[in-house]
Amino acid sequence: MISMQLLTSGVIFGLSLGSIFFLMTIGLSLCFGLMRIISLDQLLYYSVGAYITFSVSALLGNIWLGVLAGAIVAGASALVVERIVFRRIYDRDLPFTMITSFGVLIGGVGVIKYFWGLVPRPVGEPIVARVDILGTDIPVYRLVIVAIAALVYIGIWLFLNRTIIGKAIRAGTEDVEHVEGLGINVYRLFTITFVIAGALSGVAGGLYAPLIMVDPNMGLDVLAFVFMVVIIGGLGSIKGTLISSFLVGQVVSIGSLVYAPLAQMAPFAIMLLILLIKPTGLFGSQMLKR
Amino acid sequence: MAAMSFVRWWWGLLLAFALVALVRVFLPLPFANEIIIFSIYTMGCNYLLGRIGLISFGQPAYLAVGAYAAAFYLFYFGNNPYVGILIGIAAGFLVSLAIGPLFVRLRGDYFALVNLALSVIIFYLMQKVLAGITHGDNGLWFLTNLASTPVLDLSRPDQFFIFGFLVAFVIWAFFKYLDDSIFGACCLATKLNEDKVKFLGYSSFNIRLTAFVIANTTTALAGAMYAVYLGFVSPEITSPARAADPVVVTILGGVGTLYGPLVGSIVYTGMKDVLSKVFGNWELVIGFVLVFIMLAGEKGIWGSLQPLLEKMVLRVTGKTAERGGSGQ
Repeated sequence: MISMQLLTSGVIFGLSLGSIFFLMTIGLSLCFGLMRIISLDQLLYYSVGAYITFSVSALLGNIWLGVLAGAIVAGASALVVERIVFRRIYDRDLPFTMITSFGVLIGGVGVIKYFWGLVPRPVGEPIVARVDILGTDIPVYRLVIVAIAALVYIGIWLFLNRTIIGKAIRAGTEDVEHVEGLGINVYRLFTITFVIAGALSGVAGGLYAPLIMVDPNMGLDVLAFVFMVVIIGGLGSIKGTLISSFLVGQVVSIGSLVYAPLAQMAPFAIMLLILLIKPTGLFGSQMLKR
Repeated sequence: MAAMSFVRWWWGLLLAFALVALVRVFLPLPFANEIIIFSIYTMGCNYLLGRIGLISFGQPAYLAVGAYAAAFYLFYFGNNPYVGILIGIAAGFLVSLAIGPLFVRLRGDYFALVNLALSVIIFYLMQKVLAGITHGDNGLWFLTNLASTPVLDLSRPDQFFIFGFLVAFVIWAFFKYLDDSIFGACCLATKLNEDKVKFLGYSSFNIRLTAFVIANTTTALAGAMYAVYLGFVSPEITSPARAADPVVVTILGGVGTLYGPLVGSIVYTGMKDVLSKVFGNWELVIGFVLVFIMLAGEKGIWGSLQPLLEKMVLRVTGKTAERGGSGQ
């Protein structure tokens, strides 16, 4: 059986992994909820965030600055892509937006390869301290990631529930035409949401960069997990995204302790099981307005 | 009139395949073989996307099923490439029949995502979990195992081309036949308005499942042909970076058109050959091409050419008769 220490570190590892998944998928979920697009290019902003973190931290020696710069650049590139590409296709079918965003993702990977080359790059861990939890040595950095994800969740919640723009976004999720009827420029809402989503993906990439190697295909590597999180939680639901990202994080982490290949296979099995019971995921809605 | 449209689409068929034969004369053999296999691969995707309206980013999964089934047979058990291809088809049929009922119930967006997840999982399965059997990233090499077969020797590329040519022809005629059948009409109807199909008393689930199985068995056939042709299979065949390939080619050629897959395959394989030599950065090119096509109106090359060609044919023959039957 697994020892207690291994299990504790496994759970913490799973929590940090779930936090990364959450930061990445919340963008996808928001975009789907409001604009009814599947924005696979969030995975591109994730890679962009990681690469900017790598470059800035190599230049300035401070990884937190790198993460900040990564978020800003990721948000900016999201803005550019939104202006050039997505603005033209908001009223098209879902699969259509999905193909287009996949094109953006693949093209973006090509751009990254052009600028940074094919070689995987290491990023140093910003906090090397370790803390003792239940007799297990846990890197503080992983706890910091969980804390940041929690802060982001609270921030998003406050933004959506306490600000006018956030309320408009939530209303738009229900019915875009009515929001438009109130004299609110929904396309500006779309832009804001898209940039927030891209910036959050950038933060995820920047935070995850020290734990893995940064390489051009890193977005494609997490693709399957991001999909599984989104499908299990149900597209468009932030609560579902939160729950399923931590579920998948734990399953990956604990599963790999039991039997290494389980890390990849188990979330997939769970996804199939949930789809068998509820074809729209745990918290997805059956109806698709718009 | 039925005879008229019959003659007409046979003309188109002959013309298109004459073009392929021409490709064979002017271009190197590997290129021609690649085009043949790729167009079979794309035909499956084209059927899913254009006829039933299901977009799948997971086609490499079914390609890998066919390829690995053929590879297992040829590596471990036998040496007859024809049997290998048949086993690949059978495996594709069984797998898509097994997972089909679960997948086709899903809404379009979930369907696309789940298929992509499937292809990634099969990638891991072949690369890591079953590494003992599949030799992981090294792949299975069995080119020397292939026995030379009597009529058409598949272990020789030039005869493989003739075989692939015939197979592509048969598959193409089969899809054309499906289009004209009641089942084909049901598929199109399901794409356009599922509720009305149910209202007419057809089971949209059964229609989708049948189309799913047909399309993915075709894809598995393409996979088995890849395996036999290259004599080598590795997990690379289902890597996420290649997930969009068939969708790209389908859209490049023109979704739901009869000649789309062929035109798309020729252009795509050509681009890959030429542009990746010039730029050395394939993702960049294909990503931008894809976005450009989507923004330019998603009709694709053949989809945009078709009305022009039809107009030309009408002018030449001087007929103002109906134009249905030849293209779609």
